[in-house]
Amino acid sequence: MAEPSRPAARLGASDEALVEAAQRGSSEAFSRLVERHQQALRAFLRRACRDWALADDLAQETFLLAWSRIDRLSPDGNVRAWLCGIGYNKCLTALRSDRRSRQRESDYQKAVSVASSPAPEDRMALERAMEDLPLEQRACVALCLAGEFSHAEAADALKLPLGTVKSHVTRGRLRLLQALGAADDQP
Amino acid sequence: MTSPDERLAALFAADLPPARDAAFQAGVLEELARRRFLNELALWTGACGVGGAVFWLLWPALAPTVMILSWSLAPGAIAAVAAGSILAITSGRILSPRS
Repeated sequence: MAEPSRPAARLGASDEALVEAAQRGSSEAFSRLVERHQQALRAFLRRACRDWALADDLAQETFLLAWSRIDRLSPDGNVRAWLCGIGYNKCLTALRSDRRSRQRESDYQKAVSVASSPAPEDRMALERAMEDLPLEQRACVALCLAGEFSHAEAADALKLPLGTVKSHVTRGRLRLLQALGAADDQP
Repeated sequence: MTSPDERLAALFAADLPPARDAAFQAGVLEELARRRFLNELALWTGACGVGGAVFWLLWPALAPTVMILSWSLAPGAIAAVAAGSILAITSGRILSPRS
């Protein structure tokens, strides 16, 4: 594929311009998209999978699949939601098939994250509460409460009805607050 | 006093991956380059295999003509191969392939 002109891959270029450049074969533009969205994708997958090592592997696979399917994304599409949608499907597949082999690494990562946390007891309570949530609910919470997605964006990414996302977020939030021993101040 | 939602947000923010992670980004691009290389290798290997097979099948029919022409075409063919090789090397396609 021919490399397009470089300006599209500039630091401040919009997602739209970067997607268009990547669709013309610019690996530099795609690299900018990776740089821009890796944090959101990895944070979402870490919370959805509850396994940091697996989440980072899945994030890498997500970007590789995204590159091969970049032509399916409309230039004005939501890149972050699209990536999280691909990542969520990979997470579902991986959790069904790879749960046991990753358990040891997961335990290690949990120990590391708890040890380095400023509030260990809260972190542990949140970790446990997140782990107890059903996967679909956890994904909604990870996107909307932790990832600053709107309900509509989350519904788009997870391919769930908007009402289901809202319900999952409300219930998940309540369960997390209960686990933290915090009173709900919303009506 | 922080609200419950602020407390939740603070806890979630505590384990965010870094906003810029050169190692992760390099890992993605390295794997991407590796897959592209393997795809190209498979493509060219397949093309060479098909070309070789076709040539092998057609060789009985081509052989008499090639033998007749080889004496007159050999100097020109050697010169063309040499010129092509020099051009390929000097244009950097062999020594520094494009990414």
